[in-house]
Amino acid sequence: MASMLQPQIILLKEGTDTSQGKAQLVSNINACTAVADVVRTTLGPRGMDKLIHDDKGNVTISNDGATIMKLLDIVHPAAKILVDIAKSQDSEVGDGTTTVVLLAGEFLKEAKPFVEDGVHPQNLIRSYRTACNLAIEKIKELAVSIEGKSLEEKKSLLAKCAATTLSSKLIGGEKEFFASMVVDAVIAIGNEDRLNMIGIKKVPGGNMRDSFLVNGVAFKKTFSYAGFEQQPKKFLNPKILLLNIELELKSEKENAEIRLSDPSQYQSIVDAEWNIIYDKLDKCVKSGAKVVLSRLAIGDLATQYFADRDIFCAGRVAEEDLHRVAAASGGTIQTSVNNIIDEVLGTCEVFEEKQVGNERFNIFSGCPSGRTATIVLRGGADQFIEEAERSLHDAIMIVRRALKNSTVVPGGGAIDMEISRYLRQHARTIAGKSQLFINSYAKALEVIPRQLCDNAGFDATDVLNKLRQKHALPSGEGAPYGVDINTGGIADSFSNFVWEPSVVKINAINAATEAACLILSVDETVKNPKSESAQGEAAASAMGGRGRGGGFPGRGRGMRRR
Amino acid sequence: MALAFDEYGRPFIILKEQDQKTRLRGIDAQKANISAGKAVARILRTSLGPKGMDKILQSPDGDVTITNDGATILEQMDVDNQIAKLMVELSRSQDYEIGDGTTGVVVMAGALLEQAERLLERGIHPIRIAEGYEMASRIAVEHLEHISQKFDFGTTNIEPLVQTCMTTLSSKIVNRCKRHLAEISVKAVLSVADLERKDVNLDMIKVEGKVGGKLEDTELIYGITVDKDMSHPQMPKQIEDAKIAILTCPFEPPKPKTKHKVDIDTVEKFQTLRLQEQKYFDDMVQKCKDVGATLVICQWGFDDEANHLLMHRNLPAVRWVGGVELELIAIATGGRIVPRFQELTPEKLGRAGLVREKSFGTTKDKMLYIEHCANSRAVTIFIRGGNKMMIEETKRSIHDALCVARNLIRNNSIVYGGGSAEISCSIAVEAGADKYPGVEQYAIRAFADALDSVPMALAENSGLQPIETLSAVKSQQIKENNPHYGIDCNDAGTNDMQQQDVFETLIGKQQQILLATQVVKMILKIDDVISPSDY
Repeated sequence: MASMLQPQIILLKEGTDTSQGKAQLVSNINACTAVADVVRTTLGPRGMDKLIHDDKGNVTISNDGATIMKLLDIVHPAAKILVDIAKSQDSEVGDGTTTVVLLAGEFLKEAKPFVEDGVHPQNLIRSYRTACNLAIEKIKELAVSIEGKSLEEKKSLLAKCAATTLSSKLIGGEKEFFASMVVDAVIAIGNEDRLNMIGIKKVPGGNMRDSFLVNGVAFKKTFSYAGFEQQPKKFLNPKILLLNIELELKSEKENAEIRLSDPSQYQSIVDAEWNIIYDKLDKCVKSGAKVVLSRLAIGDLATQYFADRDIFCAGRVAEEDLHRVAAASGGTIQTSVNNIIDEVLGTCEVFEEKQVGNERFNIFSGCPSGRTATIVLRGGADQFIEEAERSLHDAIMIVRRALKNSTVVPGGGAIDMEISRYLRQHARTIAGKSQLFINSYAKALEVIPRQLCDNAGFDATDVLNKLRQKHALPSGEGAPYGVDINTGGIADSFSNFVWEPSVVKINAINAATEAACLILSVDETVKNPKSESAQGEAAASAMGGRGRGGGFPGRGRGMRRR
Repeated sequence: MALAFDEYGRPFIILKEQDQKTRLRGIDAQKANISAGKAVARILRTSLGPKGMDKILQSPDGDVTITNDGATILEQMDVDNQIAKLMVELSRSQDYEIGDGTTGVVVMAGALLEQAERLLERGIHPIRIAEGYEMASRIAVEHLEHISQKFDFGTTNIEPLVQTCMTTLSSKIVNRCKRHLAEISVKAVLSVADLERKDVNLDMIKVEGKVGGKLEDTELIYGITVDKDMSHPQMPKQIEDAKIAILTCPFEPPKPKTKHKVDIDTVEKFQTLRLQEQKYFDDMVQKCKDVGATLVICQWGFDDEANHLLMHRNLPAVRWVGGVELELIAIATGGRIVPRFQELTPEKLGRAGLVREKSFGTTKDKMLYIEHCANSRAVTIFIRGGNKMMIEETKRSIHDALCVARNLIRNNSIVYGGGSAEISCSIAVEAGADKYPGVEQYAIRAFADALDSVPMALAENSGLQPIETLSAVKSQQIKENNPHYGIDCNDAGTNDMQQQDVFETLIGKQQQILLATQVVKMILKIDDVISPSDY
């Protein structure tokens, strides 16, 4: 460095990697397309799963876009944005995570030739934004409301939305079964906003059909002390006492010390300690409760005490389970056993300990306030149940969303085709470059039906042409037509009950456009070397010894992309 | 994973440590997965059926297991491949749910995968194969329901239960005295079963084993055995009509949990303390005596002083009995666990007809039998056998038999074994296939072929000509329209499983088919495997 004649202005730390300009933009787009390619095959009912195992040996088999993106451990800065939108779609609507990544990838892919031709990215961004707004307007216009229907009707409509989501998952074979289960669960918790009121418990063994919904709470038998088996295991209309205290013989204060000078007083402190715990237990019994649950330990002494008095108890109940029991039974969690009044006791119709697979479960069913539901999932392998849980989570979110927004759009690529057609039509009315951009946006939307066909092994061009023709009918009757996954042709998605809540689509298009615009607006990346020095070495050797030490320090045009 | 290059020829890294990861996708991934699954199934194939062979498994620390229980073999094999792990879990979940048929389910899944491979080669979309399998499994399960028979049993008529348990045991090493073991299992299950709720808690059956003696000496004890002896060698070895005090407190002066300190500054004080301690012991023993206990079972120990005192007062005692055993004793004898001497009352004592200490052969091992308990809700199966491995295997076999008996209490439908149910399903699925239009039809036919592999393996393992035997039985089934014909593994001279009394539970069989289909679907659905390459 010192040998250089002209002193260089060093702005950044040595080894900092910066790259900028058009090439950077193209490179970012390429990275995003590569990521979108990974999840591409998981779309739709004929989508495949990915098996990902990390170096710790954890294995996940999944079809859920967000899960896959998360596990891929993407380090590319631009591509990371795609992970974020998948995540946001997951937390916002719960489903359509693959769709959103795919759309963003496709928007960028369409933008690439323009960028290469020298179009200013901001122009593209502006047009994309307009197109996005137009698309959302159109979805809102096309959406069909399910508001004002009777509960029964609503239920079956919601079940159809759930079934559409589930059809692409591993449990797709039993989608009706699970769809109705999900709908029941969501309706059971009503307008409660806390999603954790729906518990999902996983028990390996059995088959999917053995899964069941408990209109209340179920949890695995907790650790129990001797004497537990002597307690009764079934109650009708029991009173339930929920505690957050330890029922154990133990020192009351950590640091307290008793000094005795008279040995004959020894017995009195022993008795005093026992009296404390007996007093507590006695109060529990006096309250009339037949089931005692505590978040903290219930010791052997207490277990036996309760067993003697025909009371069921369970200690170390997981906090969320306890909260669910509280919500379901109408009880309140107590932190003291003093002044237990009837109002704080919960109740339910039936309490029972039951064998589920290899486990024993405590099941509270028929709860009065009924704001909770628990789904007990069964399946052949752990991986299987994990994936089933993720799928059900998606379905639950969808049903909740549909319940709140209560508008649906036809799925199977129908809505995407319709928006695409609409945008193309609209583009014709625009003078200037924007026309081209909106057209390419419209083309990008077609990726959804195209990918559906590809994944199912159909001729995408053929099906897409049929769809375009249908959607172009002037009467507008072709609008709900989408890909028919069973025959390889096209069908009316709406009458085949392939439905999605409109909010899924709106959010997906919004998020994908945002992400695409964000990536398009980036023209320089500055990478700090320190945080990734280990990586740099690996990449340097991969690049044939073009290490950073011998390069041009400080000069940003090195464009060493890693 | 190979590096991606952009237009300018520069590599770009998308994933963390991308070049250290391997990625397998498309048809290659499916092929690799299928062959892993098949490999696992091949290992278990020879263990199927009454003439199946055993495997010897050595763990890293040198423990040897000999078994032919599918779940155990796979568990101990410690497989590394992810797909193979799925097969292990498959067998495990059959074990959890049904307890029996763990080998059959893996063989079935392996056969399904094998068929799927052929279909994949023809270019059929994997998901459509999976869907076809699912349809076929539905047909098969319905058909099983159709050919199943209900049979009645009661507490007095246990014969049908015994027969079914015998079928399970016949494939095990213990089949020499399967009748004996089957009866024990059934009686054990019935004595702890809650017939009204159709609930059986197998925790209430203690399976205990001791090396020595013959397998035939295995017995069912209406009570509990404890691997302990009396605390003092001079205590009586046999107590009739025992009244048992079950204690969770030690024979010691009570200790407060709070930190404490007794200041002793004079000799007098020390004397009082000493006297008091002695008084404690005295009181405790007296308390037990007062309520009429003739035996004390204690969760904790007691020191020699207490031991001597107990001996002196003629109160036999057992110390260091584990919590689980203590609980079982309490349940068996109808007693209550007492945490404190002050709480002892005559009602809380457990009662047993006979408590005796038994020593075995020439060894010094002693066990305590607490038996003849009135209305016992907890029982013990006490296994004897030539060596440790034999006992372990017997334990597993008995577990299977117990599970079968439990399943029958839950649902009393049975199907006939010996591969007859599979053959019958295969015929039904084959016939059903033609009703489905589309590619799935092929998959359904393949499913029917896969079903044949179970009787085929049975025949193979029994030293019969597999193809000949299978086709003969199949044609016999169709000709006489009787789903009871199976493979005559034991060379009993008849193919009719009804006459041979070979039964299996309906839910066990259904579960096998459903679980195998489920896992195969999962494997088929994977088209992309991303893993660190050093794996």
